[in-house]
Amino acid sequence: MARAKKKITYEYSSDGIKQSILRNAKSAKVAPGWAKQIAERVAKEVDAWIADKEIITEADLRKKIISELEKLNPDIAYAYKNHDKII
Amino acid sequence: MSDITCIATIILAAITQASLQLGLGGLILLYHNSMGKHRRKTTRHLAKNYILGSCAITFLMVCTFCFLIGNFFGGSLSAEWLVVSIGIFAASGSVMWLLYYRKGKKTTELWLPKAFTNFIRKKARNTNDNVEAFSLGLLSSFAEIPFSLAIYFVVANCILNMSGWLQIITAVSYAIFTALPLLVLKFRVKTGKSAIEAQKWRVRNKAFSKVFSGSSFMLLAIFVLAFWVM
Repeated sequence: MARAKKKITYEYSSDGIKQSILRNAKSAKVAPGWAKQIAERVAKEVDAWIADKEIITEADLRKKIISELEKLNPDIAYAYKNHDKII
Repeated sequence: MSDITCIATIILAAITQASLQLGLGGLILLYHNSMGKHRRKTTRHLAKNYILGSCAITFLMVCTFCFLIGNFFGGSLSAEWLVVSIGIFAASGSVMWLLYYRKGKKTTELWLPKAFTNFIRKKARNTNDNVEAFSLGLLSSFAEIPFSLAIYFVVANCILNMSGWLQIITAVSYAIFTALPLLVLKFRVKTGKSAIEAQKWRVRNKAFSKVFSGSSFMLLAIFVLAFWVM
């Protein structure tokens, strides 16, 4: 018998996204001022994208953040996308 | 056996062990997580302790195997045991070529069980002080034991065949030599490169590192066969 996976829901946090982008930017050695601007722009885009949605998956949210980051700084996008594929 | 043959075997063994990727991957992970949340100085100390941990476990393993060979194998491995080591080298080389990396073009995920890599990732994310970094270094070097076990055996055998105080110098040098990729990464990060760039380099050269490691194992097998068994 297949077991259903437990679904966990979180409340979306724009600040959480900013913090996570800033962490990845610091690791990619992006200048702090530029990193802050990137974090704010991406958070703004994601806020607008999420506004008309009631529920989204974490994977969709990650995909959206990565696609926005790729436009602004591919290094941060790479760090965001691949941090769990290093080992 | 002459000291030159022993040193040549040890250098080849050190190159082979240095080409294993878990230690380097663990350090990149540590850099990635630490640079995002700590000051540069803290990250430097964490990396230093990680490398020290890696060197310490290598040195201790070599000493342990020296003790085992000294007490249970009569001070030197017999030809039969060396042939077993050669077999393990050949098998490790083949496994390295075929299974060392998981499938996927843009990743450098290794053969380790997912639960274990998740554990290392979690530990790297939560490493905030030097002792934790040291233990992470110990752990990630120790986790490659299926590949490095036979190497330790042969290295310990070579060290026991060397003369006098050269033994301790060789054991320490071996530990430092195997940590060379980690030291190079530390130097690169110190001179302005990011851990992300190092990871991109690893992804680009994944096929090369796989072939290099596998070939090193095979070469070591041939070398031990030619100079120690025949």
